[in-house]
This record gives sequence, structure tokens and C-alpha cells, in this order.
Amino acid sequence: MQVLLVLAHPNPDSFSHAIADRGRQALESAGHTVHLLDLYALGSPAAMSAEEHAAYQTNDPIVSPMVAEHAALVKSCEAMVFVYPTWWSSQPAILKGWLERVMVPGVAFVFNSRGKVRPGLGNIRRIVGISTYGSPRSYVHFVNDNGRRTLVRALHLNAWRSRTKWLGLYAIDTTTAAVRDAFLARVDRVLGAL
Amino acid sequence: MKVLVVYSHPVEGSFTSALRDRVLAGLNAGGHETRLDDLYADDFRPELSAWERTNHLLPPEHKPEIAAYAANLRWCDALVLVYPTWWSGQPAMLKGWMDRVWVAGVAYDLPEGGNRIRPRLHNIRRIVTVTSHGSSKSINAIQGESGKRVVNRSLRVLCNRYARTRWLALYRIDRCSAQTREAFLAKTERSMQRLR
Repeated sequence: MQVLLVLAHPNPDSFSHAIADRGRQALESAGHTVHLLDLYALGSPAAMSAEEHAAYQTNDPIVSPMVAEHAALVKSCEAMVFVYPTWWSSQPAILKGWLERVMVPGVAFVFNSRGKVRPGLGNIRRIVGISTYGSPRSYVHFVNDNGRRTLVRALHLNAWRSRTKWLGLYAIDTTTAAVRDAFLARVDRVLGAL
Repeated sequence: MKVLVVYSHPVEGSFTSALRDRVLAGLNAGGHETRLDDLYADDFRPELSAWERTNHLLPPEHKPEIAAYAANLRWCDALVLVYPTWWSGQPAMLKGWMDRVWVAGVAYDLPEGGNRIRPRLHNIRRIVTVTSHGSSKSINAIQGESGKRVVNRSLRVLCNRYARTRWLALYRIDRCSAQTREAFLAKTERSMQRLR
């Protein structure tokens, strides 16, 4: 499968980067082709610009060459894997902004003649989210895992053929090395069997 | 009341900018003291940096870039967020304001060796969200109203224990009539004037 791996963490030595490395190895040894988008390393801007906002309503909503390249990858991949730390129960701004700027009309969905949204990501078979949380699982349940909802509900509505899978490592600051290793092994297993 | 309005939209003249104006007009008519953080106009950087991530527990005095925003959060009795809902949540610009300004020493404290944060923004007693959605209310319900929960739960728990929240949302904005839009603007202004 063609797999798009989207990574959002500012620190190259973060645990999220370790997850992405392990995930990539697991996918490649299973014979998949991996396209890694490390959003911070690419300098992907989080905020939608005024120019992009104006273009959004037109037939040509993509302004930046980087967004065009990422949109082409989204349209040609069969699986999307998101790796990020959950902050305030949702995606880091850089990843939220990537969704806003890349998942535009003509990529993630289309407007039909009556102006209704119709899904456009029929090429995607799998959506996998892998996230780390500072808070314990009970607290994440209490405030709701809104980043997870955005991917497995809002994005999934547009990728209606896909199955979703979620891997979360909770209370990361107080976990032991053994727990983190076990989590990496789980990443290995799940992505290796994609 | 001292009211902080945080506004996020890239285009002047948008419906969201009209909402901002009516919010401020209502607050002024109600005799409230207001401050406005206009994130796009400020050219706010929404991406939390590697340095900020590494030093996320460092006191805010060491983070001059966010000092003014943090001071406004500590100053207000009520917080009003004005933004369009995109991908069922806050625009990245506003999410970045949360990521970078709602930090340890401002919004919460993290006890040594703990993993449960302690709220700090006891001054905030009211949180009002003014937003528009492209999709209908039922689609938003299926999607799980992420943006609503981020504000009314994740941010709410960092504020005063008795803080009340209000959700003012216009759904299906692209397909509703001019009258519906105007009615929403008027309702927003009225709610702001009566804020207490």
C-alpha cells in the first residue's frame, strides 16, 4: 500500500519521532511504500492565509506548491497514519492547519450542484492515529478526545471506505521506559499488519 | 465585567469579522471593559516551537513573546472566542494560541512528578464561544462537536470552578438566508450586552 505518514512534533528527538521511525520501519518491512511528512521539518505553516481563504471558494483552492504536493499524496495514498502529541485534547496547531489547508474542496470532498458536501477520499482504506497524552486516560475521557474525533469521525466521513485504528499512550510523563517500549512494540505490530 | 475577546479570521469583511464587531458593540453597550486579541492582525505565530516544547514548564516570565496574551488571560473575568469552525474545531491560528499561551504558570500548574494539571485561571467566570459552521447541526453532532468540547471542557476546567459556558453557533452558514445571518448577529450582540 501507499502510506502517507503525517508527523507533527517540534522536537526531532521526541517520542513522537521515535514512533514515526518505528512505524516507518514496520511499514516498509511489510512491503508498503511510505511517504513521510514531518510538518515541523518541512516548515509547513499552520495558519490558513487570507489568500488561501479567498481561493477556497474557487475551483482552484490550492495556492502553495507544498500544499499541492501534499494534496497529490493524499489523493494517491491508500492509508493515512497520523502521529502527534495531543495538546488541549486536540491536534497541535501545525497539524490542525495542515488539515485545513490540504483537505480543501476537490481533495477531501466536493460541493455538489446543490452546494452539499460530498466525500472525496474513496481511495483511503485505513486511517491510523497514534497519539501521546500528558494526561491519564480517565482525564482524556472526561474532556473528550477531540483530536481523535476530528480524525475518526470528521475526516472519516470523507474517507468512507476506510477502517480506523487508534493507539494512545496516556500520562506519558509518568510512564516507565518499559511502558514506552511496549507501546513502540504495539506500533510495530499494528503497522506491520496493516 | 472585564472581557477578553480573542478573534481569529484571516479576512476582514468576513462574516466572522462582522461577529467580532457586534460582539464588541454589545459589550460596550453593556458597560463592559474590553480587550481584543486579533491573532491574524498581530501576525501571531501559531506553531509551538521546539524550545517552547522543551521548556513548557518554564515560568511565563521567560517567554516574552506570549507575555501580553498571558497578561490578558489573567486580567479578564470573561473570555469570548470568535472564530469560524473548520474541520470541526478551532482554526489552527486559534489552536496555536491555546498551545502557546495556555501554558504552565498561566493556565495551570503541574505538580512535581504528577500528571494531573491544577487550574490557575480562577479569574475567568464566563466563557462564550461565537462561531459559524459550514455544515448542519446534525452533521456536527455525528462528527462529535470537537471544537465545542475543546472550549467547554478542556479550557473550562482550567478556569474558575463555577465558570459558566455559552455556545452561540450559526450552522449551515453557506446555505442560510441573509435574514438568518442578521438574526444571528443581533442575537450575538444582545447576548454580549446582557453578559454577566
